[in-house]
Amino acid sequence: MTRADWEKSYARTESALGQAKIEAAPDLPRLEEVRVRFTGRKGELTELLKSLKDLSIEDRRELGPKAQGLKASFDAAVAARKTALEDQGDAVSLSDDAIDLTLPSLRAPRGRLHPLTTTLHEIARIFQLMGYSWAEGPHVEDERHNFTALNIPEDHPARDSHDTFYLRDLPLLLRTHTSTVQIRTMESQRPPLRVVCPGRVFRHEQLDATHSAVFLQVEGLVVDEGVGLADLKGHLQTFLQKLLGAATKTRFRPSYFPFTEPSTEVDVKCFFCPGTGCPSCKRTGWIEILGAGVVNPAVLKSVGYDERKWSGFAFGIGVERVAMLLHGVRDLRDFYTNDIRFLKQFDESLL
Amino acid sequence: MKVSYNWLKEHLALDISAAELSAHLLRLGFEVSEHRRLGPTFTGVVVGKVVSKAKHPNADKLSVCVVDDGAVKRTVVCGAPNVDAGQTVAYARPGAVLPGNFKIEGRKLRGVESEGMICSRSELGLPKDADGIWIMSEGPELGADVGSLLGPADDILEVEITANRPDALSHRGLARELAAYFREDLKPLGAGAAESAKSSFPVAVTDKDACPYYGARLIEGVSVGESPAWLKAKLETIGLRPINNVADITNYILHDVGQPLHAFDADKLAGSRIIVRRSKAGEKLTALDHKTYDLPEGLLVIADGNKPVALAGVMGGEDTAVTAATKRVLLEGAFFAPAEVRKSSQKTRLRSDSSYRFERGADPRAARTAADRATALILQLAGGTAARPAEAAAAASAARPRVRASAARINAVLGSNFEEEAVRRVLASIGDLRDEAGGFQFAAPTWRHDLSTVNDLAEEVGRFLSYDNVPYRMAPMSPRTARLTPVEVESRRVRARLAALGLFEAYNYDLLSEKTLAACRLPGDDGPRVSNPLSEDWAVLRPSLLPGLLKNAQYNLSRGADAVRFFELGKSYALRGKEVDETWRVAAVLLGPVLDSRWQAARSPRASFYDGKAILEDLLDGVGAVAWDKLSAPAAGRTPSDPLFHPANSLRALVNGTPVGTVGWLHPRVARAYDLEGEGAVVIDADLDWLAGRETTAARFREFSALPVSRRDLAVVLDRKTPYERVEAVVRGCRIEELQDVLLFDVYAGKNVPEGRISLAIRLTFGRADRTLTDAEIAKAVETITAALSRELGASLRG
Repeated sequence: MTRADWEKSYARTESALGQAKIEAAPDLPRLEEVRVRFTGRKGELTELLKSLKDLSIEDRRELGPKAQGLKASFDAAVAARKTALEDQGDAVSLSDDAIDLTLPSLRAPRGRLHPLTTTLHEIARIFQLMGYSWAEGPHVEDERHNFTALNIPEDHPARDSHDTFYLRDLPLLLRTHTSTVQIRTMESQRPPLRVVCPGRVFRHEQLDATHSAVFLQVEGLVVDEGVGLADLKGHLQTFLQKLLGAATKTRFRPSYFPFTEPSTEVDVKCFFCPGTGCPSCKRTGWIEILGAGVVNPAVLKSVGYDERKWSGFAFGIGVERVAMLLHGVRDLRDFYTNDIRFLKQFDESLL
Repeated sequence: MKVSYNWLKEHLALDISAAELSAHLLRLGFEVSEHRRLGPTFTGVVVGKVVSKAKHPNADKLSVCVVDDGAVKRTVVCGAPNVDAGQTVAYARPGAVLPGNFKIEGRKLRGVESEGMICSRSELGLPKDADGIWIMSEGPELGADVGSLLGPADDILEVEITANRPDALSHRGLARELAAYFREDLKPLGAGAAESAKSSFPVAVTDKDACPYYGARLIEGVSVGESPAWLKAKLETIGLRPINNVADITNYILHDVGQPLHAFDADKLAGSRIIVRRSKAGEKLTALDHKTYDLPEGLLVIADGNKPVALAGVMGGEDTAVTAATKRVLLEGAFFAPAEVRKSSQKTRLRSDSSYRFERGADPRAARTAADRATALILQLAGGTAARPAEAAAAASAARPRVRASAARINAVLGSNFEEEAVRRVLASIGDLRDEAGGFQFAAPTWRHDLSTVNDLAEEVGRFLSYDNVPYRMAPMSPRTARLTPVEVESRRVRARLAALGLFEAYNYDLLSEKTLAACRLPGDDGPRVSNPLSEDWAVLRPSLLPGLLKNAQYNLSRGADAVRFFELGKSYALRGKEVDETWRVAAVLLGPVLDSRWQAARSPRASFYDGKAILEDLLDGVGAVAWDKLSAPAAGRTPSDPLFHPANSLRALVNGTPVGTVGWLHPRVARAYDLEGEGAVVIDADLDWLAGRETTAARFREFSALPVSRRDLAVVLDRKTPYERVEAVVRGCRIEELQDVLLFDVYAGKNVPEGRISLAIRLTFGRADRTLTDAEIAKAVETITAALSRELGASLRG
């Protein structure tokens, strides 16, 4: 090929490129056709570049860059058009492919822990932080563990407040309090000890908004050297402030339980009213939250502890009552009805 | 116990309000659960007479009245339509204060000066009887204070007396406590009565431990009738119904000093004698409550010459009660042993104010003095003459036990730092305190039965000096590591798992009805029964947790729920000989769509057996080799919940031959009983005790191959009754070392699969740790497998 032929060929290609109107290619396939026509394996530009090799060195030096320049501008034009066409396509799909983002999520089914579980765990967790271990005992008990060892002999009027379910044909009963686990724990462990004993208890009582025949208690027991009412006050105030808030005010007033002496009922300042009285606190400004006391030495003696060396304190908390206060539940029976609409409202992640 | 504040003040001078008193009582351990105010809540209202009535010049609905209050006549503007001249009215003078702190002053009403107000009953805080002003009956003097016509003001306190404080179960008893607390003196009691030389009926006591003191005094010539107004009013303020003067006096003394007394009609006592003895078989007593009681043998009774006339310390008999016709009274004042009275009261289910006090412990010294006071009152109000009492007393009981203590020991019990002086002062105000080397000795008074140890004394000191003055102590006790029980650790894991799998935790009662047992096909022979159930719904301790969950499912479905996913952790019970076995179990019920999002129907199928199986497998993860057996297979063993399960479509998980859990359909009969037919309920029951006791080891990391694996999918067509388990067993039975996994990914029957056959699509994963497998090696392995399937199960490959 002569230089003149090559230059003729160059001019023809250049003009064909001009007519090809790359910037006006209507879509990606058409653009691709153009690209193949010029820079495909047998494309016009490809051929033009190939035919450079037939020219003399000098001509090649002169014409080579010219041809390369033509190709570079073609490539750039194709790339630019390609991006433009893709953007156009994206714009269409960005609007046409839009899904309804407001349809409900496909959430994995999520269950719930019962509010009494979470309340009980919260109570136990706080005591665990204070070094109390978890202890359990049977629901079906004998007189000794439920009454006698707890200094409630037969014919003691204190039994009146423990309306008891007895088992048919057996000398057994359903425990009326978790204090039974105090005895069981002390029978099986040497002092010192510090335990919480959560569990179900049973009272022969008609069900109403604030009474149940089956309910949950958390019993606590500490036996150590030199323990007195002051330790009880310290531990229980710490517990109540952790459970109900640091500003919780407590009141310890004398009471009576046969297995503790001295005994106390613990009230917290009502957190539904400014102490002026409301239905939640029966218009007293205080809410009764637990019973407690210094372990009666007679109880320590009944399990074979040396009551001159060891002393302790014990307490009992009604879990339903705490859950009702924490969650604003008004009827205790709701906890045992298992209405999904009720249970759904208690998300443990919120406690 | 109802306490009248005015009555209390008869025993102790108190110059604080009833509200302040309540606060002190609370600090002493006597909670006041109710405080009711009696009497007027207004002042300055007097009886007036409307002298004249004229129309108000400037208002149609008002009238201008002149009211005479006995001293002056004043002009009063009144708006009530029923006011008229000549009426006796309640007139609030200027300066009067009406309920709600409403002060009455002279003021102009529509141009006419009104000096005070004519009141309606509701304006005085009294129950309304008619509209308009209160038109009083004539009689009271003009100017008389209306408030005092209504009776004296009083505060009635409902005081909770704990079981250890029977001594406070009376006005004087409570006053005695307050006297010690305030360090004041009690007012003296009235004296006893003059007595003649005549003897009362002879008294014999057969068991002096049960009845350490019995006194009986004959009072002759009484006239029984209505009590005077003051006595009736007194009983009525504390909610008692007056009966007649003699009965009212015994009731009054009981609530005044706490000593129960009883009055017999002496002429109705056969043989004119009293015997305190044990009841004999077959004896009966018709008590004052008009009911006849069959007395079990051995109860302490008061008998005349023939038969029991009273259940000692509990209640007298109707036949021998004092009536309007009674002329001679035999007044009993006695002390009965607490356990005796309690036994009688419990055996007969008969309770009274008397038994309530005796069973808690009366004051043995009070019987005589209280009877003397009652005698004086009877003579005063009913007339007659009193004979010398006949008494039977046990030998003088030993001196009161003395408690050795010291301020230091009491402070140790309380953790307090009370001054020695203060501690002694408190105890001396309650009982008898004597010095002793290193401390003191304390003897309780005869009315206190609760003071026999150092801890008892510490409580007294704490009460009187206030629990508020005991510090809050967080003493550095030896640190302890808090531990959970294995069951609790496992319970938490199981609860967290099941909640994460979408189940709601339920709490059901431990007691079931016999009807429920039958509905659940539970035989119930081994269910422990309660001897005194609340109702038939609470008869049997549950042998299974499932009945409760089924009830919950039924309840929620009937209230519009379409999916139910519940679990419960709790105890099941079984009789074993003379004992009751308690087992921790976890149970669950699944029913209805699995997902809450229903709009992608394909993704939210209804819960099936396989969802339940997944949950049980999840609970059993990590326990080692689990064998699954049909519930009906003999090797599966028996568990109490079995009868609730569908016998064919239920599986039992066994570990080393121990049944640890069951999953399956509900037995159709049980489903029917709970309206769950066709709901496709799946139930699970597993042994939580076993799960808690299983051995777990920390997970060990195993190297895995970095080389790619090869997968081959097979569609195997075989008889549709072939359990999948066998297919997988045959595949694995080929013992191809490179076979890493077998995954079933489709089960199909229908078009292109012959009738009676089923197509299982299985994905086989092959690989080696040391090199990549060649196509030829894999093809050979697949061929081995298909040959085995064909040979052993008659399977063919689907094209």
